[in-house]
Amino acid sequence: MAGSPAYAVDLTAMIAATMLPFVSFLTILIATRGRPRLSAGLSIGSVTISLACSIALLALHFHLAAPIEFSTRLLASGGLDIPFGFLLDRLNLLMIAIVSAICFLVQVYSLGYMAGDPGFSRYYGFMSLFTWAMMSLALSASLLQLYFFWELVGLSSYLLIGFWYEKFSATQAGKKAFVMTRAGDAAFFIGLLLLFVHTGDLSIAHLDSRSALSGVSPSFLTLSALLIFGGIVGKSAQFPLMTWLPDAMEGPTPVSALLHSATMVAAGVYLFARLFPFFSMSSVAMTVFLAIGTISMLLASTMAIVSRDIKKVWAYSTISQLGFMIMALGAGGYFAGVFHLTTHAGFKALLFLCSGVFIHRYETNDIYELSRFGARRMVIPTVSIVLGAAALSGLPPLSGYFSKEAIMGSLAAMHNPLWLAAGLAGVFLTAYYSFRVIFILLFPRAEGAASPPPQEAGITAGGHAAHESGYRAMAWPLIILSAVSVIFGFFKTSFKDFIGGGAAAGGAAGMEPSWLHIAPLALALAGVGLAWVEFGRKGAKQIGFVDRMPVLSRLFAERWYIDRFYGLVVEFVIDRGISRLCSQNDRKVIDGSIDGICEGTVESGWVVAFLQTGMIQYRLLAILGVLALLLLCFYF
Amino acid sequence: MTLYGILFYLISAAVIGATAIAITRKNLMHAVVYLIVSFFGTAMLFYLFGAPLLAAFEVIIYAGAIMVLFLFVVMMIREEPSGESVFPATQWVPAAFFCLIYVFVAAAMAVQTPGLNAPLKMLTASPIQFAVHVFEYHWFSIEVVSLLLLVALIGALNLGAGKSAHCGQDGEEEK
Amino acid sequence: MIAPFSHVLVVAGILFALGAFCAVTRRNLIMIVLGIEIMLNAAAIAFVGGSLHLDNLDGQTFVLFILAVAATEVSVGLAIIVYAFRRTGSFDPADFNLLR
Repeated sequence: MAGSPAYAVDLTAMIAATMLPFVSFLTILIATRGRPRLSAGLSIGSVTISLACSIALLALHFHLAAPIEFSTRLLASGGLDIPFGFLLDRLNLLMIAIVSAICFLVQVYSLGYMAGDPGFSRYYGFMSLFTWAMMSLALSASLLQLYFFWELVGLSSYLLIGFWYEKFSATQAGKKAFVMTRAGDAAFFIGLLLLFVHTGDLSIAHLDSRSALSGVSPSFLTLSALLIFGGIVGKSAQFPLMTWLPDAMEGPTPVSALLHSATMVAAGVYLFARLFPFFSMSSVAMTVFLAIGTISMLLASTMAIVSRDIKKVWAYSTISQLGFMIMALGAGGYFAGVFHLTTHAGFKALLFLCSGVFIHRYETNDIYELSRFGARRMVIPTVSIVLGAAALSGLPPLSGYFSKEAIMGSLAAMHNPLWLAAGLAGVFLTAYYSFRVIFILLFPRAEGAASPPPQEAGITAGGHAAHESGYRAMAWPLIILSAVSVIFGFFKTSFKDFIGGGAAAGGAAGMEPSWLHIAPLALALAGVGLAWVEFGRKGAKQIGFVDRMPVLSRLFAERWYIDRFYGLVVEFVIDRGISRLCSQNDRKVIDGSIDGICEGTVESGWVVAFLQTGMIQYRLLAILGVLALLLLCFYF
Repeated sequence: MTLYGILFYLISAAVIGATAIAITRKNLMHAVVYLIVSFFGTAMLFYLFGAPLLAAFEVIIYAGAIMVLFLFVVMMIREEPSGESVFPATQWVPAAFFCLIYVFVAAAMAVQTPGLNAPLKMLTASPIQFAVHVFEYHWFSIEVVSLLLLVALIGALNLGAGKSAHCGQDGEEEK
Repeated sequence: MIAPFSHVLVVAGILFALGAFCAVTRRNLIMIVLGIEIMLNAAAIAFVGGSLHLDNLDGQTFVLFILAVAATEVSVGLAIIVYAFRRTGSFDPADFNLLR
């Protein structure tokens, strides 16, 4: 196939799609730092071309039968052979389309949101870096190459989360995100090495073919699968390493939208889907994945119930939806997981971008305050956020409904009904917390005497005029994303045809019982209903049922004390144990030896200085002495 | 032992003795005069070794020019009799030690090396022979040396000129 | 017949040692230069003796150069000494230790 026109076109398109954002990143960083409009234009231009290439590739290969691989050798030494190149199959095609589309929309939206920020060019530079890393990650042909870009995604998310570096909490959050994902990545890398040592090949296509791993022992397979899953846990913010994600809300809101829908966290799920045949070879590992997905899903949902910060609610919901995806994949529902990844990318980006509009306008994250300022007067964001929340909770005509149903279908195929029960509970909680936010936003309550003072309204009106031009740039992506959220669900079957080719659980989804169509919907509606009773209806106190139980609400608000636990671990094990040892070592051994060397130098300097008297004759004497000794040396 | 041999030992003893006296004189003028005696003796040794031209040069340049230059300097600068100890112990003890080592080893080597103990024959290089040899084989070195002398002349002139330039500033106490 | 060449070398060596001793021990700049002159002179004696011993006029030629170098060195050296004396009023080498 090499040399044929189609080959050249594919390769060109892929290189253009991946490399252009990188080129624009470099250009922005080197040349156009001082010219924000030009930088934004460059970045958006490159991502537009990326998007066009991705869509063209998707259209060209819509009926792709076998994966296409373009690879060259990155390095070969002895028995080591590391390929480097592009792999193109249906999952990739889908992923690059999602990534480039979301990146494009977010970048357009940022024109409004970030307008006037002193770091405007830097922001777009990092955005381009992010786009490049994510696109290349999606197209990587080997696990090692994927790992490079995996780390690059981590780096660029660190840069973007800590974008407002003057803010202490933002730098802290960036650091936390970086360190926690790194903890997972270390496991990932070890798993990678193990796999490499035992199979000698890290090509994804190779790993996904069952024959390659036939000679490997099952326990080893489980071990390496679990280790690689460690990377996914870190990146997708699953149970033990989930706390970085809510803190990552310190970054600009479009960054959160990008991070939490299509890129950073989705990279983990994408890796899972990418290596799905490999993972599904170890049933133990799959059960662990399922359990971790379930735990994170439930924990995050409960956290979302009590949060007052609108962005944090969506952050928790991201964790919980990622938990859903992991559950679906862990249960063998390849199609369900990928489908939910797709729909979630749409509506979660939508939710974040809507919240971004509110936050930009009213400069607060608190939902009660937003409500009091009259956030519902902004029509487009309000309608969009309702649509997004409905999609998130899985109400019928919207995309979320279809993907959730598919997930429930794959969970029902498991023997243990516990998973299904947990999933259904998750559906209920999701609907409850998302509509809690919606109802609070829609129906402001005068809490005590805190009705919106008129002069405050005047200020916001003035601000509104100033933000008018940016508002349009922010509104368009919202409209597009809402449309996608509404429509996309109806393409479930064609999507299934497209993606489900290799799915193992294709048969399982067929025999789902009829009540399964109804149960999630009924629970979602129940969740919405409960939210209505507590927050929406006239005279409701807007106090959730959890808030009435102080112990529980405290537990949820403190994120189940996971952070506190990490803090303690860090304090006792690292600060008091390892750090103290290190600092003792530093002070006693290293400082001591260096001080010793310094003092020795000073003292020997004194001795030498004593010899140097500045007198010519002593030097002559030394010459004479040396001559005499040389003579002795020659003579004997 | 021939007459020339006796002459050699006598002159050598005189040269060494004059030099030894010269380097121990506290008075610089005396030292220079003793050294002139030493150089005259050296010139005689040269003559003995068959280098009459060099002997003449030795007298003219060393004893004549160089030593007179020393005398000029010594006389130009009125040296106050300082409290100089002629041989400070920190210097002369190690110096003497090393010099003795040097002399003994050199003497041992010179005496023990075979072929050095045959008495020297009498030969004389006439100035014509010497000049022919020099300008036949070493004309380039002669040019280099003449350049060196020119440089020395300029350097000395420069130092002297610099002296008068500095006189107005820090040379007041001399006048 | 004159004395053997080794005796010439011994005489030159003793003279050299005397010059070196003078240069090292006398705390007077002029005496240091004088010591150097003595050393050069000792070398000249060795060269002339060697020239006779080997029946080769190159040794004598070298003495010619030594004379030239000695003249150069003395003229510049004495100029420097005079200059230094005018600046500091001393001949003691121990006083010239600004760089210490």
